[in-house]
Amino acid sequence: MFVIVNGVTRPLPEPRTLTALLISLSPKTPFAVAHNEEFVSRGDYAACRISPGDRIDIVHPTAGG
Amino acid sequence: MKERQIDDQLVIYGRRFSSRLLLGTARYESPSLLDDAIRAADPAMLTVSLRRQVAGSADSGQSFWNLLRETKRTILPNTAGCLSPHEAIKTACMARELFQTDLIKLEVIGDEVSLQPDPFGLVEAANQLVRLGFQVLPYCTEDWILCRRLMDVGCQVLMPWAAPIGTGQGPRNPRALRELRERVPNIPLIIDAGIGLPSHACQVMEWGFDGVLLNTAVSRADDPVRMAGAFASAIKAGRSAFLAGPMIVQETAVSSTPEIGRPFATDFSTPLATAT
Repeated sequence: MFVIVNGVTRPLPEPRTLTALLISLSPKTPFAVAHNEEFVSRGDYAACRISPGDRIDIVHPTAGG
Repeated sequence: MKERQIDDQLVIYGRRFSSRLLLGTARYESPSLLDDAIRAADPAMLTVSLRRQVAGSADSGQSFWNLLRETKRTILPNTAGCLSPHEAIKTACMARELFQTDLIKLEVIGDEVSLQPDPFGLVEAANQLVRLGFQVLPYCTEDWILCRRLMDVGCQVLMPWAAPIGTGQGPRNPRALRELRERVPNIPLIIDAGIGLPSHACQVMEWGFDGVLLNTAVSRADDPVRMAGAFASAIKAGRSAFLAGPMIVQETAVSSTPEIGRPFATDFSTPLATAT
């Protein structure tokens, strides 16, 4: 079973929480996360349950105008 | 000296800045060029964005983040590319956590060709973001009703375009921009987008605008660092000219050199009837 992280298929972690997913991915800081196109604040990662097929966006700082 | 000349700082949501230039960080050929341009421009704020990590990149924006932090400038995240209020709001929320600031340059694009703001979506997004505690700097047009609606929902700064993003055309609608300035004398107005030359920036500052936000005009110049310095000088010159109070334009010629005492002049004050 999989989730989609930044458009790429990844294995669904155990337990099925955003925290577990982020531990497995180890994105470099700083980053922010959206789950199924909704922002998830850092304090809510542990409570955010993820299911097969969910879409996760992890964003980083970039140049902008 | 008038009071406004003594304490002439740009005030954005209570934050005071001696510089009136806001600089975008995109489209520089290298991080070191961006760093040098920042030093030359001495900007009040740096605009930034957020994106997914590029596949295969080990950096994840960390070097950019380190560069930003070292500049010690105020960071202004944007919602560039968002096409709906919902998209802009969630992007703003992510930006707030990422950059640790309530400031947000709000973009809700209504047309992907002209990159013109969607006025309806912009007001809706601004309204919700203000309620969420954001300090919103909306990228808007010079349309008076749109600007009024944005102020109505709590925007304390407006950022009308001069021309479409990245075109460098300079102010397309000077009359409306100047009318906007007259209608809202007490709210910071920052020209955002469409500026191409330092003379454009100087001109809008002469009209009384409070600041200029630049990106492409600097980053895509042949020599971005030199251009950054040129813009910084132009913005200061325009601001000084505004504060100095420009002369009133006259319909007819007015000699600047005194006429009285000019040699060989006919003295019309002498009575003509004295000759016999």
